[in-house]
Amino acid sequence: MAKSGSPMLLQGTLDLLILHALQRCPLHGYSIAQTIHLLSGEALKVEEGSLYPALYRLELDGAIAAQWGVSENNRKAKYYEITKRGRKLLAAQQETWNRLSIGVQRVLARQP
Amino acid sequence: MRRIFLKLRRRRSMERDIEAELAFHREMSALHINSVPMGNTTVVREQARDLWRFSLVENFWRDVVYAVRSLRRSPALVVTAMISLGLGIGIDTGIFSMAVEFLLSEPSVTGASSIVYVRLAGNSHSSKEALDFVRASGLFQDVAGENEEAYINWNDGADTRQISAVLLTRNYFAALGVPVALGRGILPQDSNDVAVLGDHFWRTRLRGDPTVVGRAIRLDGRAYTVVGVLPKTFRSLIGFGYSPDVFVPTYLDDTILAIYARLKPGMTIGQARAGIVAVAQRLDKEVSKTTPQPFRYAEGVQVSAVGGMDRIRTETEMQTVGLFFVMLLVVVGLVLAIACVNVASLLLARGSARRQELAIRLSLGAGRARLFQQLLIEAALLSLLGAACGLLLRQALAATVEQLQLPLPIPIRFHLTLDWRITLYATLLATFTTLACGLLPAWRSVRQSIAPSLRREGRMRLQRALVVAQLALSLVVLTAGFLFLRNLWRSNAISPGFDIRHTIYADVNLPPQAYKDVARKRAFVAEALRRLTALPGIQSAAAARVVPFNGGTRFAGGLKLLDTGKTVNTFYYWNAVSPDYFRVMGIAFLSGQTFQTGGDAATRPVIVNRPFAQRYLADGEPLGRTFRYGGDDTAYRVVGIVDATKNLSIGEDPQPQFYEDLARIDNTRTRLEFIVGSATPPATQLQAVRAALRRIEPNAGLEVATLYSSIGLAFLPSQVGAALLGGLGVLGLMLATIGLYGVMVYSVSRRTREIGVRLALGADRRDIAFMVLAGAARLILIGSAVGLLCAFFLVKPLAIFLVPGLRPSDPLSFLAVALLLAITGLAAAWGPARRAAAVDPMTSLRYE
Repeated sequence: MAKSGSPMLLQGTLDLLILHALQRCPLHGYSIAQTIHLLSGEALKVEEGSLYPALYRLELDGAIAAQWGVSENNRKAKYYEITKRGRKLLAAQQETWNRLSIGVQRVLARQP
Repeated sequence: MRRIFLKLRRRRSMERDIEAELAFHREMSALHINSVPMGNTTVVREQARDLWRFSLVENFWRDVVYAVRSLRRSPALVVTAMISLGLGIGIDTGIFSMAVEFLLSEPSVTGASSIVYVRLAGNSHSSKEALDFVRASGLFQDVAGENEEAYINWNDGADTRQISAVLLTRNYFAALGVPVALGRGILPQDSNDVAVLGDHFWRTRLRGDPTVVGRAIRLDGRAYTVVGVLPKTFRSLIGFGYSPDVFVPTYLDDTILAIYARLKPGMTIGQARAGIVAVAQRLDKEVSKTTPQPFRYAEGVQVSAVGGMDRIRTETEMQTVGLFFVMLLVVVGLVLAIACVNVASLLLARGSARRQELAIRLSLGAGRARLFQQLLIEAALLSLLGAACGLLLRQALAATVEQLQLPLPIPIRFHLTLDWRITLYATLLATFTTLACGLLPAWRSVRQSIAPSLRREGRMRLQRALVVAQLALSLVVLTAGFLFLRNLWRSNAISPGFDIRHTIYADVNLPPQAYKDVARKRAFVAEALRRLTALPGIQSAAAARVVPFNGGTRFAGGLKLLDTGKTVNTFYYWNAVSPDYFRVMGIAFLSGQTFQTGGDAATRPVIVNRPFAQRYLADGEPLGRTFRYGGDDTAYRVVGIVDATKNLSIGEDPQPQFYEDLARIDNTRTRLEFIVGSATPPATQLQAVRAALRRIEPNAGLEVATLYSSIGLAFLPSQVGAALLGGLGVLGLMLATIGLYGVMVYSVSRRTREIGVRLALGADRRDIAFMVLAGAARLILIGSAVGLLCAFFLVKPLAIFLVPGLRPSDPLSFLAVALLLAITGLAAAWGPARRAAAVDPMTSLRYE
């Protein structure tokens, strides 16, 4: 996962980030990683060792669909697109994440 | 569903796609300065593979291939497993096949589940009038009758032999839908002179002549046209492998018939019973108009199924047979368990030898579940091999049993075909052995590879526990076997109450039409006795209505004592014999004497046995008392009291019995039985007796044998029980001994270093041998203790199969069996003990 210096991604949050990144338009694997990297303000780095297995799993689950296309530099690349099922999953995961992060923040904001 | 579809579609291109995608990613990150770290690409590929493949199935297959390869490297293990499991599974399926044949096989009729067997007045057979009345009532779709225990005389041109026949109503084949292999069945419109042959009779006596249909054979002196031959796998309605030689229509009006009826569609057995009771009541009313009736048809009506579970439910004798098979299957299951423990021990030892291999595989990232699965697959392969060997063994056993000529007066033949039930059972057994052999060693191996420090002491303890379990199991099996052996000795030693060593039994079946007249039968008896006693070496001869163990006539009814006027309810065996019967049979007179000629016709002489006198005539001096029975006005006077004999089985208690004089009764039966006392060994006189009887009536069917061999049926259950359970006991002991031997060898080889140290420090070699033997003795002792405790409770229900007086909890059996186990076990440990004593201290210290 992430090297020292960048925070560890919680199990399951990568799926959420990928789905979020794909919300607007289909992307290939590299640009998904880039998008997450940029959107996080360069705080999060997703390496391919965790990105691709997550993509394949999401594809098998039917949350995203894959299709070969041509990249901006005229290369053959595999584009991933979010499906209806994926959008539902995203909404659900977002909800879960919100509750989780609020909970964690509340805990950390107070002294025990 | 969608996942499987996706996986299938991607299967081909997956590897290439991943490569291309990762290459693109790397290229892109090389282009950008702000690149994301590469990470481990191998992991991506591995994970993708796991995701996209049918990993379960594919891993399974890979494990099978791996297991085959690794088993091929240890042929000793494979052969041992094949032999132990093959023996266990083979004998188990063999006994199961017999159980299926005996208990669940259906007779060869169409729609066996809709056929029922009807008993009126509690009688197994009914008169033809009663059968016709039931048929005319329209209660059933069809009604047919058979007399299955008839004998008929078959003349092959040279000699007349008595063969077993089924006499049937002519609608029998049509009503029941009995299949034929050749020709056709008997049709309702046929004459009385047609016959259908049984397969075995046709094959052995007529050499399987294919042109037999349409030819004539001579039965009871009349020509019958053969119209058909039954199939090889024909199963008769009474089952138990009874395979009669010939089927002919009944032609005498007084032949009694067993009633078989086909239920109308949707009718249950309960409804049929209610219906038949009503019909029988009408029949009673009808009959009582013309003649006084000694019994009522409507009383004791029974309706039972002819096959399958329904038959077991409705017939009590089937339940006893069923219990016997359940007992056998339990015992053979224990033997199989012993065999499994052997294989499990081997797998345990193998697991410790492979500890390193497993540890390496674990550290390389193989999952624990995967390793477990793989070890279990090895056990499954061994079980499959064992099951295959077992099925081969079953086929051989079945072929032997099918060929078996049982020493019985009736033709019994089994058809033990390998059907789905047997295959399913073998599969279940293989599953059981897989778990029994594999679960423990696999669990052990996986655990050990994780925590290697636990290994040493623990493993030997487990193996010892297994051997103790094995010894205990074998002790239980041995106890059962020993009990049945004692049962055999006991029943051979029991006297049936008559002389079976110096006597010859002749069964004569007179041609019924020529001997309709009672006087002719009497003349035949007189002439036969005269000629037989004239033979050199023959001391005496007698005739009887029935000789014990070849059938018996039991009656129940009121006995009116003429002196006190009281009526006693009695239950007794009845027989009619010639005066010399008691002398020939060696039955002693307690008082009085045998039948004399002359006397008045108004009172008939009878001889009663001791239980009869004690039970029914005890209120006075029995000798000379008179009584009436059976509804007629004849008075019977007791002229003699004799010792009791057994009548049907060797284990029974003597029952009340009385004898009439054969010359004074109205004998309707054309089958006569003779007993001949011989001064020389009876087997040498058989020919002379046969020839003497043959000269009087050339057309009679004749079976002559020593009385000892002809009552073989009575000894058969104890012989079969002793052979089966004794054999299983020996097999169990053998397997357990092999297990003990293996563990002792293993333990000695592990302790070589320790033994070397002991020797180097000055231990005596005899002490070393003693130490090993003591180790074995401890295992045997614990095993025996556990086994005796289990056996004490487990063999108790066996009492129902044993002769009275032989108690399963008899300490003698336990003592003998424990002793046998101890001797065999110590003998097995002797070899390893000697090997331990022969250890060379120097070599053993350099060892490891």
